[in-house]
Amino acid sequence: MLILAKAALGLGATMAMAGVYVFHEGVIRVDVDEHRDGGSHVHFWVPATVVGTGMHFVPKEKMQQTAEQVRPYLPVLREVAKELEKYPDAEFVEVTSGTDHVRVAMSGGKLRIDAVSAEGDVVHVSVPAPVLRDVTDELELRVPGV
Amino acid sequence: MNTFRGYLGLGFAVAFAAATFLPWVAIAQNTSVSSDGKSEQWIHVRVESKEDHGEVVRVNVPVEMAEKVLPAIDKDNLHDGKVRIDSAHANDVDLRAILDAVRSSRDGEYVTVQSNENDVRVAKSAGYLYIHVTDKSENKKTAGKIGKGGGKSAAGHESKVEIKVPIKVVDALFSAGKDELDIVAALKALSAHGDMELVTVKDDENTVRVWVDSKNVAD
Repeated sequence: MLILAKAALGLGATMAMAGVYVFHEGVIRVDVDEHRDGGSHVHFWVPATVVGTGMHFVPKEKMQQTAEQVRPYLPVLREVAKELEKYPDAEFVEVTSGTDHVRVAMSGGKLRIDAVSAEGDVVHVSVPAPVLRDVTDELELRVPGV
Repeated sequence: MNTFRGYLGLGFAVAFAAATFLPWVAIAQNTSVSSDGKSEQWIHVRVESKEDHGEVVRVNVPVEMAEKVLPAIDKDNLHDGKVRIDSAHANDVDLRAILDAVRSSRDGEYVTVQSNENDVRVAKSAGYLYIHVTDKSENKKTAGKIGKGGGKSAAGHESKVEIKVPIKVVDALFSAGKDELDIVAALKALSAHGDMELVTVKDDENTVRVWVDSKNVAD
């Protein structure tokens, strides 16, 4: 009984630590709702750590190809990603037109893009700022000289 | 005793988890404090359409962020934070010479044009360059239409542009080579000034405001 309790405690502590590690960079959240017939509804939450780690497992050629495609934008992406982390709570762009609404802001250290259309379509994307930097760094590694 | 060991084990696990997690919280707090602690300047742009269900566009950009990001953009006429201006657009007018003349002159009104179509005023006062333009051509067109239709007054159908820029910012803007505007240098000069209204455009359809202050949200 005692051994079982110790094993459970060890397992619990390991799970807790794994949870803390996996979620310490926050969560990437994407919600898309198209309110029309056949409209898509996409909702997913991904721990940000998974993106950084996952990029190491993407086939080298694919990463190289992607990096080459975004190469012209990498210097800008790098600077934007670096700067965004300095403004954990700020509103950058807000466009309102009738019932259409688009907002790009930093909230709690996450880049948030919210869009609501007059037809009721809704898109919410939330990405922790450090993830943008990690992705940029990883892509830059694939195209040296940027 | 065994219960105590269990609690001890749990305590270590929680402490270890906290040690892993807390530095991130601390970093986040430091970032927040440092970014909020100093008074940063933000450039705000607000465009409001006066039509029904008119559009409202609000853009807020930290001056520091613009200073860092602009040099990274290499597109069309924008390179290294400088915009290349086609000399043809200047109609052989030496803008730099004009600027030097304005800078070295005393405060006063340099250009005052009053015509049926436009009123233009360019002045220098207390280290600021003022450019005020009132375009009355819309007023005339509307008045013509109304005149034919017979009726209401056309008063107010004109567009007004008011620009107020510190001379130091203008200097910085023209500090690059010939045919270039150094946007980054201008931003640096701008951030040294306090809150100010830079551009106001008002016409029948839109109101545009560009201003600088230390708030990270528009009014």
